[in-house]
Amino acid sequence: MSYDVTFQRCGISALFDLKGAVDAVEAWVGDALPDFPDRPNYRTGKDGKELFFIGRDHWLARAPLEQEVALEARLKPTDCPVDISIVRVSDTTTFFRVTGPDAGEILAIACPLDLHDSMFDAEAVTYTEVFGLKALVMRCKDGIEFGVEQSFADMIEEYLSRATA
Amino acid sequence: MLLIPCPFCGKRNESEFIYGGPVGADRPDPNAATDQEWVEYLTVMPNPLGPVQENWWHARGCGDWFTIWRDTRTHDIVEAPDGTK
Amino acid sequence: MAQSNRRAAGGRIDRNQPLRFTFNGNSYEGFEGDTLASALLANGVRVTARSFKYHRPRGIMGHGPEEPATLVELDGEDASGNRPATTVPLREGLNARSVNCWPSPEFDLGGVNQLFARFIPAGFYYKTFKWPNWHLFEPSIRMAAGLAAAPFKPPSKGHFEARYAHAEVLIAGAGPAGLKAALDAARAGKRVFLADEGTEAGGSLLNRNLTISGRPAMDWVADAVAELHGMQNVTHLQNATVWAYREHNLLIVNERAPEQGSILERSWRVRAAEVVLATGATERAMVFGGNDRPGVMLASSVQAYVNRWAVNVGTRVALFTNNNSAYAVAADLAAAGIIVTAILDSREHIPKEALDLVPGLPVHPATVAAGMFGHKRVRAVLAAPLSGGASKWIKCDVLAHSGGWNPTVHLWSQSRSTLQFDEDLAAFVPDQAVQPCRAVGAAAGDLTLDRIIDGGEDSAYGIEPLWRVDVPGQRGKAFLDIQNDVTVSDVHLALREGYDNVEHVKRYTTGGMGIDQGKTGNINIIGTVALQKGLPLQEVGTTTFRSPYTPVSFGAIGGLREGWGLFPYRHTPVTQWNKDNGAVMYEAGARWRRPGYFPKSGEGLQDAVSRECRAVREGVSVYDGSPLGTFELKGRDVPRFLDFIYSNIMSNLKPGEGRYGLMLSEDGLILDDGVAFRLDEHRWLISTSTGHADAVNQHMEKLLQTEFPDWQVMITTVTSQWNNATICGPKAREVMQALDTDIDLSPQSFPFMSFREGAVAGLPARVVRVSFTGELSFEINVAPRHMAELWDKVMEAGAPFEILPVGSESSHVLRVEKGFLSLGHEVDGTVDAYDLGMGWVMSKKKSDYLGKRSIELRRSGGGKRHELVGILPVDPNQKIPEGAPLTPGGRKEATEGLVTACVWSVVNDHWVGLALLENGHARQGETAHVRLKKNVIPVTVTKPVFHDPEGKLLRS
Repeated sequence: MSYDVTFQRCGISALFDLKGAVDAVEAWVGDALPDFPDRPNYRTGKDGKELFFIGRDHWLARAPLEQEVALEARLKPTDCPVDISIVRVSDTTTFFRVTGPDAGEILAIACPLDLHDSMFDAEAVTYTEVFGLKALVMRCKDGIEFGVEQSFADMIEEYLSRATA
Repeated sequence: MLLIPCPFCGKRNESEFIYGGPVGADRPDPNAATDQEWVEYLTVMPNPLGPVQENWWHARGCGDWFTIWRDTRTHDIVEAPDGTK
Repeated sequence: MAQSNRRAAGGRIDRNQPLRFTFNGNSYEGFEGDTLASALLANGVRVTARSFKYHRPRGIMGHGPEEPATLVELDGEDASGNRPATTVPLREGLNARSVNCWPSPEFDLGGVNQLFARFIPAGFYYKTFKWPNWHLFEPSIRMAAGLAAAPFKPPSKGHFEARYAHAEVLIAGAGPAGLKAALDAARAGKRVFLADEGTEAGGSLLNRNLTISGRPAMDWVADAVAELHGMQNVTHLQNATVWAYREHNLLIVNERAPEQGSILERSWRVRAAEVVLATGATERAMVFGGNDRPGVMLASSVQAYVNRWAVNVGTRVALFTNNNSAYAVAADLAAAGIIVTAILDSREHIPKEALDLVPGLPVHPATVAAGMFGHKRVRAVLAAPLSGGASKWIKCDVLAHSGGWNPTVHLWSQSRSTLQFDEDLAAFVPDQAVQPCRAVGAAAGDLTLDRIIDGGEDSAYGIEPLWRVDVPGQRGKAFLDIQNDVTVSDVHLALREGYDNVEHVKRYTTGGMGIDQGKTGNINIIGTVALQKGLPLQEVGTTTFRSPYTPVSFGAIGGLREGWGLFPYRHTPVTQWNKDNGAVMYEAGARWRRPGYFPKSGEGLQDAVSRECRAVREGVSVYDGSPLGTFELKGRDVPRFLDFIYSNIMSNLKPGEGRYGLMLSEDGLILDDGVAFRLDEHRWLISTSTGHADAVNQHMEKLLQTEFPDWQVMITTVTSQWNNATICGPKAREVMQALDTDIDLSPQSFPFMSFREGAVAGLPARVVRVSFTGELSFEINVAPRHMAELWDKVMEAGAPFEILPVGSESSHVLRVEKGFLSLGHEVDGTVDAYDLGMGWVMSKKKSDYLGKRSIELRRSGGGKRHELVGILPVDPNQKIPEGAPLTPGGRKEATEGLVTACVWSVVNDHWVGLALLENGHARQGETAHVRLKKNVIPVTVTKPVFHDPEGKLLRS
């Protein structure tokens, strides 16, 4: 092993894509989700649920998979008004965790974004590139967590194996 | 590899973006434009030696389409989009 | 004798670590700390290379990346080509050979070229080998005039890595100026990235015996390195060359043999807020007759070999200079006990501070070297007084020459920052920075240590330029570019023939190209041009400095992306099942790995595909349709948006209904075909072809964000939220019933082109009735987490009906039988919907949609169109290659179309094809002709449909 890291394929989470004007979305979701983050590419959390502000008028809500049904019942994607969009996208994204002292080294191979503590703190979350793919990147305990389009997950796993060989 | 200012995400590596061509003329009314006007709209694109306004898509980022002014001689981004951090 | 030239003591080598290595098949020994070059010199190997064009014998001339003469190929763990021997760290078992000679540099058959040298000046190849064409001669010339080939095998173990880094200050070079800049920035708390090309820090201090405040300068270096290593905010790399300076302060660093697992080389792409270029200076050669002979070396290199590597490159050394730096070299040589036989200085008045360094040594002012005696090793230099007096031979076994110093401005110039010619230094120095960067130390023209470090002790620099020796009676060729065998007369020839811009001179003579990029000689070419044209050097200017500064392995640039990693790949949850069940896997658009076909043991492609097609037409099949691009759309303006991007009308669809449509681009080309469904009042689902999903997404987002920002349409990509198993064939409904579903499957309540949600096999599903084969089809969409389970249940429920999994090969056959178009086959940049017989998809009611005006404009000119037709070979067993041209009567004339597809149709027992044929719609029933290289195939022109023309089956 070149690097002191472990990586883990965590699979999918409950994930809902929310779009629309912030007031309209906030009004619809009520207290089903954490407070809306006030800075771009930041996240908030409450009761195991997280809310990522990842684009203009665009959020992702994430929760453990076992909360998916309950959260969907609260968010009511098929009933929401015409001016907001809520779509369950849990299956689209496979999450990986890279942890250990050299986690930053592996991410430096994979990702062009500056993930130094001073530039990317614990509450930051953003889409960027990981091994050439669009990926949702954030910190986790002892390392970095990222999500990629589920169909590429096998390839990402192979890349991580090669990077840490 | 440029460092491109995204209005939502700030400066990011060019590899996160897809180039969307220079900003051309507004789309004319297809039912009013002459053939000549329509062909020019389709085919005549700005191609200056110097600053040009161009579209970029933050495809591997927040998904924003935005424009920058880039100097074609130097790659200097002489004007960033509104609201850039 | 082993290491006969190694000094008894001293040097930065570890004598306790002897290393054995092989050069051109001979075994030698060196020490840890050696380069291949220093070890060869220690062993007295004089002839190490043959030159590029004339195959002249050459030796080692430099001690670093400037080395022009000795390039080697390495084998085994180090497999690589075109490595300057001076930059190859020695290690146990190294196996190297010279690149441009056969069988050896000592006895090289190509050396016969020397006899013809006067017949092969610059431009010779351009002028001579132009008829009938250059490519006829190129292979043999390339073989004779050679650099190394790519290694036959990749390095035998390990892998490459490429990575990103970010710094507040990047410093290139860890000599005195670079270390000082690094200390300053690091102590201020900045994130510092310091990279140096050498095996250890110190730069020029490694080669010299200088002091800082009375202590050895290398002690100061050791202190600086130790302090930097103690700081968290510093990344310090040795063996790491900053080789490219790109826009927006991106620099690329190639780190060789990092001490990290099995990593061979590592490429760093560093984005820096500020860049400090402490790249030092490069000594330049003198230009005089015989200046390429083995034993003619750069003065600083002779000094480096003595001081750093404890190698006496000769016993009797003569020096030739136009500047002060060679006097410190002479002093070091004399101190080392080497006989200095002469110092030839082209200057008439030699500064006192120079002379003070060499008391008692024979200095010849206003004297130049005008020739060398000795073929494979020098024996004497011809000393010619510039006053015109008698020349005389002075014995020497090494001639050390110094033409002055060039600040190493390669990276500075790559950043597009400007240069100016400094008359005092007779060199180009950094002028205006155009990116956030600055040059320091020798790179900025501060060539002596006292100007760089407080307390640094060094004697002053002074120079009077001499661009080339030009005295009567000069003997032998005077080389400007050693590596490319470019002489003064070649440059004169280029100027005579009108190539008088310095960039043209470079292209015509090849001077300054190649591995060393003319590090020692370019300035002399510029000087020679300036002298000839009577211009100042500033006006002649330099050629453009381009990356890489020194050669870089492709492997390091690629990093992990080798083998399977060259292209991304995507799997569906059924990929593994497909592989386990014998599928031949293809890449089928947008990087998806999909089954092409499922051969039984011993079965060929055609038989397997025909068997799968028969199952679809006569029984039932299942196809993994997961990769289809799918998007959910929401918002007030979705109906008008869909009406704008599709050529037909979508807005009048009712919930649960869908429609096939074409998307055109504004210029009227077909962008994609797909299906739009209305899920409910405000939610829509569109599907695209697999290969165009990303392009359609980009297209839609661009329109919405740049053209129609006021339209409320929100798009969510759900390609990977829904996977599907498509049950297809006359028995599809029976399989659906066997799967157990709460959806009413009758054709009345679930007609073709509609959409239902419900449970299938106990799984939440969206079922869609579309068909890409012309048979009854149910597309069962489930979440990917359920896909493998669904697939198993389909295979189980379908077993009594002999369900077969089918791949993309049979899908292709089935769509051709139906005349369904495929982008990339029937659709190219010339074809529109009318040509395809799909005028029905072009709305007459809408006043505007994307592409409408352009198609009207294009068709208004009249003219013949290539139109989609079916073709039946007159001989039913005659296959036609896809892409084959159709010509009138099969004659050798301009084509009138091409075959877009041709497949064996099991329902027709006949090869059937599709073609784009001039005026094809009006020619049904006629015979057309496919013209191949060897034969002509007559075909009957038909409608482009060979199965169920009324479409009863797919609606059943």
